[in-house]
Amino acid sequence: MLENIKKEFSTRILVLIPIAIAINIAIGELVVRLKLPVYLDSIGTVLVGAIAGPWAGALTGALTNLIWGLFNPFAAPFFYVAAVIGFLAGLAGKRGAFENESPRWLSVLVGAVFVFSLTMFILAFSNASIDDTGFTSYPSMADLFSQYAIIFVVAILIGAAIGYFLLQRGGYAGFWGLITGIVAAIISAPTAAYVFGGVTGSGTDVLVAAFRASGAGILSSVMAQGAVSDPFDKMLSFMVVWLILRSLPARFKAR
Amino acid sequence: MAIIDLRNVTYKYPLTQESALKNINFQVNEGEFVAVIGPNGAGKSTLCYTVAGFVPHFFKGELSGTVEVAGADSSKSNLHEWVLNVGLAFQNPFNQISGAKYTVFEEIAFGLENIGVPRDEMIPRVNDAMKLTGISELADRSPYSLSGGQQQRVALTSILVMHPKVLVLDEPTSQMDPIGTREVFGVIRTLAEQGMTVIMAEHKVEWIANFADRVVALHEGQIIEDGKPQEALTSDVLAGKGFGISRYTSVARKAKETGLWKKDKLPVTLEEAVEGFAHV
Amino acid sequence: MNTFSMYVARESGLHKLYPLTKASLTLLLLIAGLTLPVNWAGYFLVLFVIFPLAIWGKVFKNFMRIVWSISLPFIISVIIIQSLFWGKGTPIFEFWILAPKIEGVIFATISVGRIILVMAGFILFAMTTRPDALMISLKQVGVPSSLAYIIVTTLQIVPRFVTKASTILDAQRSRGLETDGNLFVRSRAVVPIILPLVLGSLMEVEERAIAIEARGFNSNREETSLIEIPDTRAQFILRRIFMVLMILSIIARVAWQLST
Ligand SMILES: Nc1ncnc2c1ncn2[C@@H]1O[C@H](COP(=O)(O)OP(=O)(O)OP(=O)(O)O)[C@@H](O)[C@H]1O
Ligand SMILES: [Mg+2]
Repeated sequence: MLENIKKEFSTRILVLIPIAIAINIAIGELVVRLKLPVYLDSIGTVLVGAIAGPWAGALTGALTNLIWGLFNPFAAPFFYVAAVIGFLAGLAGKRGAFENESPRWLSVLVGAVFVFSLTMFILAFSNASIDDTGFTSYPSMADLFSQYAIIFVVAILIGAAIGYFLLQRGGYAGFWGLITGIVAAIISAPTAAYVFGGVTGSGTDVLVAAFRASGAGILSSVMAQGAVSDPFDKMLSFMVVWLILRSLPARFKAR
Repeated sequence: MAIIDLRNVTYKYPLTQESALKNINFQVNEGEFVAVIGPNGAGKSTLCYTVAGFVPHFFKGELSGTVEVAGADSSKSNLHEWVLNVGLAFQNPFNQISGAKYTVFEEIAFGLENIGVPRDEMIPRVNDAMKLTGISELADRSPYSLSGGQQQRVALTSILVMHPKVLVLDEPTSQMDPIGTREVFGVIRTLAEQGMTVIMAEHKVEWIANFADRVVALHEGQIIEDGKPQEALTSDVLAGKGFGISRYTSVARKAKETGLWKKDKLPVTLEEAVEGFAHV
Repeated sequence: MNTFSMYVARESGLHKLYPLTKASLTLLLLIAGLTLPVNWAGYFLVLFVIFPLAIWGKVFKNFMRIVWSISLPFIISVIIIQSLFWGKGTPIFEFWILAPKIEGVIFATISVGRIILVMAGFILFAMTTRPDALMISLKQVGVPSSLAYIIVTTLQIVPRFVTKASTILDAQRSRGLETDGNLFVRSRAVVPIILPLVLGSLMEVEERAIAIEARGFNSNREETSLIEIPDTRAQFILRRIFMVLMILSIIARVAWQLST
């Protein structure tokens, strides 16, 4: 075990990690400048995970947030989330998610399932009702489907299109990105809710407010906000890394 | 006795088809200053990396033949021991800045810290090395704030301070102006006279002719010429293969065809050319 | 010094403290503030520990400015969301769809205390500690030098990369890439910026690795250090005390949680 961990940290990887952290921060800030509704601040982390392995990916993630914390203290307490993202990217890499090309139907499936669940999730929240005792009840699946049939069909089509045109042959990477995003949303919520009262000081706070207004608790609102933004963001990041590794000559992928 | 001894060395980078070095036989004596010339892709850098131990230890790939430096066999050594004998500085100075240090002085001390030189020995060594290469006044600057030529001097100094027996330099003056180039060649010449062995891949033939003891010409991974600078640099073997050739050599070669150049030897430097034409 | 850090050079007692002493004090403040079962611990620690330390460190004015500008968006956000959108509770007043709840206001106030504590703790530490000094002190207590290398190098190259990203952005703009306009246009602009940035730097990796290996980076000899940072016996003991206090406040939290 310890030997394996050590093997991940060759000199090349030790040199790559600072560059990856700088990529995370530089692109993270660029995205803010372009006012895009994503974070894209873990491309470097995913890259190290993909090239070197889970432990190097985890270290890259954790250090990104701790170092970013020197400028933006909000990032620091989430270092463990970033570490898990890097770790999962490393596992994905070990499974060949960044090397193998997926069949296009898989990408279509991943995209469709993703947008479908997202839609269901948002509709369920926005149709929740609170009774007098403060108990929140959610509508049943059957009610939702019958009431919003057209919306669901459109969602599946949009998802399939995203899968076909955006993920293309990166279906495996996209799939791992989705999983990673869901995990990230779940594990970051407690810290966001407890330490920061559920806010990030950025645009996504609107979502938290919406969920709070629909009667959800602080923790679940934050989780819900994460569930909307994180999977998409991580899917994109995994995709970008897949693209990068495909356009990179083999000699530069050496560890 | 030869301090560098390469026998039948053939090397192929991983994932490539063609060998970058083909059956190289190359011996260098202690205190010799050997320049390696060749067109782009000839294998100069690969030869440098081989002497410096990075081929095959860092690059992996397939190496056959034997590489010995100072009596040690490369295939039986570790890279971290090898670099104590053989110092390497290369072309792009920016990538040679460690990034872990805030001043030039600390940057140069980086290698000494790594190999465990005690602090009270470290400081005079850094000072001496900086004086040698003429960068003492840069000591407190940030390495990132320097010009390309200054950074190249820092990279060279960072290796010299480690007191290697063999110094391998891959186009170390590419970003320097003529004045800087002259100074650095002068420093290297002095070091060679004090007994350091120097291998330098370089395009600037006129400087080579003035300072090196010997020239090795590489072409498509093979040594096609090896001899005194004056002879090697003007050799007909090099013609038409994309070697950088001194303009004085080209002019004299043309002049020889028309009978204007009477000497046997062709010139490389301005002085030689002036002297040769003076007999006309 | 163009590095990614907030360090402000001053001649002060706080600056002269051994970096690890400051680091463990910061950690203690954060842990105590977040775990102690006292809702107002954050405010208390900021007012009576962090502010006096900032004054001692002669950085109070800068410090307040940075803490304020960084914390403000969070504070506004938390107050709006948690007081206005609090689900069930006692309304303070009702106006149109707005009905701030007392419980929400209390929660928001507690959260603001925690936010300020985290921000202020980190910022004071970053303002009074040189990153390289921190690394050297970490090495002195046995943190692997490769980790120290990663951290210091990162601090130096992050500003370079942020600049590089802007340069590529401007270059692509001048080649006609649209970076303004609707979401779709802006999204399409990202890839032509990311790819050159990342690919270019991946190609640097090989040479940079060669350069540091050539300088004995992987040597297995005992490392030495050009710069030595003095520690004192008193500070060593102080750090042990901080550590005990950290553990105590966690125990207090667990005990309180179990009893309620
Ligand atoms: N890391 C590598 N992996 C695979 N092939 C390589 C690698 N480095 C160099 N090569 C190839 O090996 C051959 C020799 O390259 P080398 O860099 O030694 O040439 P060079 O003489 O130094 O050229 P230049 O004047 O451009 O520096 C070239 O065909 C090159 O493409
Ligand atoms: Mg070369």
